[in-house]
Amino acid sequence: MPKKLNSVILNVILLVMGVITVYPFIWMILSSFKQNQEIMALDQKLLPEQFTIQNYINMNERFDFMRFFFNSVIVTIVVTILVIYTSTICGFVLSKYKFRGRNLLFGFILSTMMIPWCVTIIPKYTMIQSFGWLDSYKALIIPAMFSGFGIFMMKQHISKIPDEVIEAARIDGASEFRIFHQIIFPMSKNSIASIAIFQFLWTWEDYLWPYLVINTKEKQLLAVGLKMFNGQYSTDYGALFAATAVSIVPVLIIYLFFQKQFIAGIASSAVKG
Amino acid sequence: MRKRFLALTMSALMAASTITGCSGGGDKAANKDVVAPTEPFGDTIVYDPSVEVNNGEDITIELWEWGSDDLFQQIIDVYTAMHPNVTINLVNNPWEDYWTKLPLALDGENGPALFNIHNSYHENIINYLAPLDIPIEDLEADFNGVSAHVIDDKMYYIDYGMMTGSVYYNKDMWEAAGLTEEDIPKTWDELIEVAKKLTIKDGDTIIQAGLNFNDDFHQNYLLGLNYQLGENLFKEDGKTPNVNSEVMQQIMQMLVDMYHEDGIGSENFGEKSSDSFGQGQSAMVIQWGHYYNTLKTTWTNIDFGVFEIPTFTEETPYAYNRYNGESTFGINKNASAEQQAVAQDFVKYFLASDEAQVAFNIAMSTFPAKKSLATNEEILANPSMAILADHIDRYIWPGPMPATVENSLKKAGQDVFYNGVEIKTALDNAQAQIIKDMKNSSFESVESLYTYASEK
Repeated sequence: MPKKLNSVILNVILLVMGVITVYPFIWMILSSFKQNQEIMALDQKLLPEQFTIQNYINMNERFDFMRFFFNSVIVTIVVTILVIYTSTICGFVLSKYKFRGRNLLFGFILSTMMIPWCVTIIPKYTMIQSFGWLDSYKALIIPAMFSGFGIFMMKQHISKIPDEVIEAARIDGASEFRIFHQIIFPMSKNSIASIAIFQFLWTWEDYLWPYLVINTKEKQLLAVGLKMFNGQYSTDYGALFAATAVSIVPVLIIYLFFQKQFIAGIASSAVKG
Repeated sequence: MRKRFLALTMSALMAASTITGCSGGGDKAANKDVVAPTEPFGDTIVYDPSVEVNNGEDITIELWEWGSDDLFQQIIDVYTAMHPNVTINLVNNPWEDYWTKLPLALDGENGPALFNIHNSYHENIINYLAPLDIPIEDLEADFNGVSAHVIDDKMYYIDYGMMTGSVYYNKDMWEAAGLTEEDIPKTWDELIEVAKKLTIKDGDTIIQAGLNFNDDFHQNYLLGLNYQLGENLFKEDGKTPNVNSEVMQQIMQMLVDMYHEDGIGSENFGEKSSDSFGQGQSAMVIQWGHYYNTLKTTWTNIDFGVFEIPTFTEETPYAYNRYNGESTFGINKNASAEQQAVAQDFVKYFLASDEAQVAFNIAMSTFPAKKSLATNEEILANPSMAILADHIDRYIWPGPMPATVENSLKKAGQDVFYNGVEIKTALDNAQAQIIKDMKNSSFESVESLYTYASEK
């Protein structure tokens, strides 16, 4: 009986916490169907009193929403794929190859995670400017190709794959290239899913860097477009909520599809046995 | 299950793209129906459309701005109709981070030739600006407030519009309190009496505030009413703040008394005065010109009126209030000579064109700095501008003050209202903080250039 009671209490607590977490999200979605004066009203109601889809129409008047959306999809997918590949191959090398300076190199990679972005953003901008990459997707993709966090995650995960598996492949005549692609890669799918979700989310919501390096309206990303609703003196909350509601759809899809692998990947990388 | 979810998601996305349309409304093509002026126009600054730009050869420049694309595109369309060899690419930016990106871009060779300016970021961008080719005397002949912008006998930008604070009142509440147009107050004492009639209480609890200045007493009262009492914000040297003077204490005491003695509002009623007015909680607020647009776009259910800020006596004050300017475009000194020449020409067109000046001032709810537009019908049709017309020369600009002046006075007000700090102590602290923060600032007040500076 006490066990059952504990379970009920725990579930109630989790339910309350879940509602608290999800409520702002639900409020935002429902508010995207309200007029601005209702969103800002003193007497707040969850459901719209006067239902309107005008915000969804207005958001496209401010900028070319679908173009920004697909620009973001393309850049995010390319960066995510590249990060997955580079992280896995670097993790493989750092965990399964023994060479002088390996730990030093790994320490150096870890240190990149500890430098705040605001310190590096101006030198990074100056470099991109001198390369002539401003206003080009090269400025968004190439500097993002390597992720310290991704390499760390993959090294942790791949180090748990028994060396015997790799040795057996070598005895069977598999090249290092083949071992990586046909053995290590498939065996790392949980961690890859975790990195994919993190990287997708980070790239999708990254605002300042794309804003700084992209000028042409047609090339701009969605996160920058969302910021356009914040004016000097006021904010068009209705259109902002409508645009945000649509913009989170890809992130939701990615998470819903990979959630099992994501949880397994986080757990396996966090606990090195 | 996954397939079903995917299908559902794709349907939702397709529906969203149908609602929003696949081609952006924001990407409006340039209006090809614009009629290009062919005759010279302007007052002292005259723009002649027949003069070729860049020898008639094709050239492209960028114009960076924040805010309304349509407004900027409107003047670009007219300009490019006059000069079809010029292409001006408009780049819209979010207000906040514009000031991070702009200096970075201006530091290189590929920055925009033309860009929108706000004088609150004067120190960040002044070193990237090329001076205007237009003679200062011509600018002074056509525009108010020009002398305050002269730096070493050069002019980098001026104000096209002047924004200041006025009183916005809720007409329905006004009527319900039995008030008429005749009751519009001229003095602070009259305003307090009117506010008392507009205040509704349930016992000691305020239901409706007669006046609300929460969250912006620094912006709309402490940094402006000092002029009504004949005192500048900065001392004679133009660098030392003057925010702990007896006059400033008198203003702060008046604000405290309005809430605590007269009971026409409360620091705990309506967290932000601008929202409180829109939410129908407060009957009067003092707000700057931009609030007119906010009421028209966000708080559409409020029937409001507007009147000029009251004064301490019925006599003409040294100045009614502080104003701040909306600035003309900056020209990038690192752009190529050809691009700079086009940018100079574009600014000249902007200053000479009454249509452009009226459109920008109406959009920003600013009173035109161009002298010839002071009686313009379109301008006077906007009540927030019309009320300023009679005394516009009696508004003063202290210069592009560092943010610490506002921030420190905001803190002083919060200390007085919420932390029980003595008025004198709070203002002394603000004075000390501003002096400390401005130690390395190049700011120098231009209050001495005010037309009526000698009256002080």
